[in-house]
Amino acid sequence: MSTSLIELKNVTMKFGGVTALGDVSFDVKEKEILGLIGPNGAGKTTVFNVITGVYQITSGEIIFDGKSLAGVKRYKITKRGVARTFQNIRLWGDMTALENVMTAADTHKKSGLVSGLFGFPVSRREEKRDKARAQELLDFIGIGEYSDRLAKNLPYGVQRRLEIARAMGAEPKLLLLDEPAAGFNPAEKVELAATIRKIRDAGYTVLLIEHDMSLVMKVSDRVVVLDFGQKIADDSPRKVQDDPRVIEAYLGVPEDAS
Amino acid sequence: MFNLRDKGAEIWESQGRVGRVAIAVGAIAIVAALPFMGGTFLNTPVADYESVLVYPIAMFVLMAIGLNIVIGKSGLLDLGYVAFFAIGAYTMGLLGTKTELNTWEILPIGIAMAMFSGIILGVPALKLRGDYLAIITLGFGEIVRIVALNLGALGRSEGIQGIPTPPGIFGIEYAFDSHRIYYWTLLILILLAIWMVRRLSARRAGRAWESIRQDEDAAELLGVPTFKYKVWAFVLGASVGGAAGVIYASKTLFIAPDNFTLQISILILACVVFGGMGNIWGVILGAVILGYLPDRIRFLSDARLLVFGLVLVLMMNLRPDGILPRKKREKAIVKKDAS
Ligand SMILES: Nc1ncnc2c1ncn2[C@@H]1O[C@H](COP(=O)(O)OP(=O)(O)OP(=O)(O)O)[C@@H](O)[C@H]1O
Ligand SMILES: [Mg+2]
Repeated sequence: MSTSLIELKNVTMKFGGVTALGDVSFDVKEKEILGLIGPNGAGKTTVFNVITGVYQITSGEIIFDGKSLAGVKRYKITKRGVARTFQNIRLWGDMTALENVMTAADTHKKSGLVSGLFGFPVSRREEKRDKARAQELLDFIGIGEYSDRLAKNLPYGVQRRLEIARAMGAEPKLLLLDEPAAGFNPAEKVELAATIRKIRDAGYTVLLIEHDMSLVMKVSDRVVVLDFGQKIADDSPRKVQDDPRVIEAYLGVPEDAS
Repeated sequence: MFNLRDKGAEIWESQGRVGRVAIAVGAIAIVAALPFMGGTFLNTPVADYESVLVYPIAMFVLMAIGLNIVIGKSGLLDLGYVAFFAIGAYTMGLLGTKTELNTWEILPIGIAMAMFSGIILGVPALKLRGDYLAIITLGFGEIVRIVALNLGALGRSEGIQGIPTPPGIFGIEYAFDSHRIYYWTLLILILLAIWMVRRLSARRAGRAWESIRQDEDAAELLGVPTFKYKVWAFVLGASVGGAAGVIYASKTLFIAPDNFTLQISILILACVVFGGMGNIWGVILGAVILGYLPDRIRFLSDARLLVFGLVLVLMMNLRPDGILPRKKREKAIVKKDAS
């Protein structure tokens, strides 16, 4: 059995009276693609938000790479090896695709403002290296030809992919993808599924939120299902699909409507 | 539509190293020769032409470049920029009259003082955003002026008099009325500031500022230490304002709290917004125009603020991004779309 890269232990997240996550526990193993599914408002994005430090959890614990993430600053969580995409695209529109990726890649630079100003060799070296790496990432994700275009002018599908490339720019161990296929047509979804598998094969661990069942079931090694902030299933794609509780959560069962 | 910014960038990019050096040297030579144009159509009817070149024009340009780091690059609305100008000027005033230090020795001290106050203001203020930040910085600008107004050591409303001119360097003497010498001095500082901003813009700091301006939360979540870079923006902006203040005090020889009112902050902000936030050439152009026109057109000089206000309202409606807006060109867009 492989080791967990990240582990959520009894995580509860309350917003006033709303319990967005109630006592949720699961882990993501190294080099795994874990699908995270659930109906609208189930708490999926909230899982990303508590992992990346957007919200401090009400109770519970999140262990990443052997250490707790409690109270760690957001940019430091990224530096430790977690990067995410956003459900509603949040690129830096006035920057080129390449600059978007490079900005994330700056996370691990040794050189800062002063060495950049005076052009110290370390700064030049890192700048050159990251530029090449950013271009490689864009190529890898299949949007290399757009590197010089401003992010805001890119077609929708390219923007979605750029979100992934940007997150990968931060060299994460754990990549969090929040509905990367939203708005894609079936052909694009197939292509994206291949890309996600390619990402995993390149050594990343992926936690994937996705509404499209066939996509999740196809790429995930394991699937966790949330419903109203509760974990209701955590199993292989096949077993999850046949789980009566999951079917109920998705379809609703009339006699339970009380 | 003819686009000055894109045209300029196109010419610049089409040049090799030699061409670029030639363009830069030529441009600097022309700008440096401006004091000799006094007899021409450029002359200013009310104030002395050469002194107008120094103040407001060159001084506005320098400060606008500094403020642009804060507002244009990083998107932090700083309404108290005059504070750093004042701190530089009072550092010069105090040390110049109370010690044996000369202007060139005080210049780095004044810059350091301004940067230090940038940290003092930035660390608490930059935890806030948007309007709250604007209000705190506004308050800071006023606090600095009011402290100067009430502190005996700073001369209260009398200010500080008898501030020494800079000692000559390379055989060039600074008499208080040799405006062109001050102009060239400021020109050197302006070139240094341009160098600094252009250099940083193309690297990590520039990207960090851009990302903060466009989506601060996304920036933080993708590993940008946003707070640190916001403080840096403040501190670097302050350093430029401080430098301007030192030269200002060493030129006017007399400073008082009245020289450092909110009005200055607003005027510099107007230059930045009018010229084109975030685009250094736009900002410079904005400062030149807003500095020069009121002195060139006689009836404007009395109504300077009114005209500024009108121009800004018009600009915001007709060209909200300024004369030379920041939007970057997309290189090779044609080639790529064709593929
Ligand atoms: N900042 C917040 N303040 C208050 N309530 C919130 C906040 N963030 C999320 N919630 C609530 O938590 C619940 C879960 O939201 P979340 O965005 O995690 O759902 P989701 O599973 O990502 O849904 P979707 O599929 O629609 O993206 C919702 O009821 C939502 O209203
Ligand atoms: Mg969501």
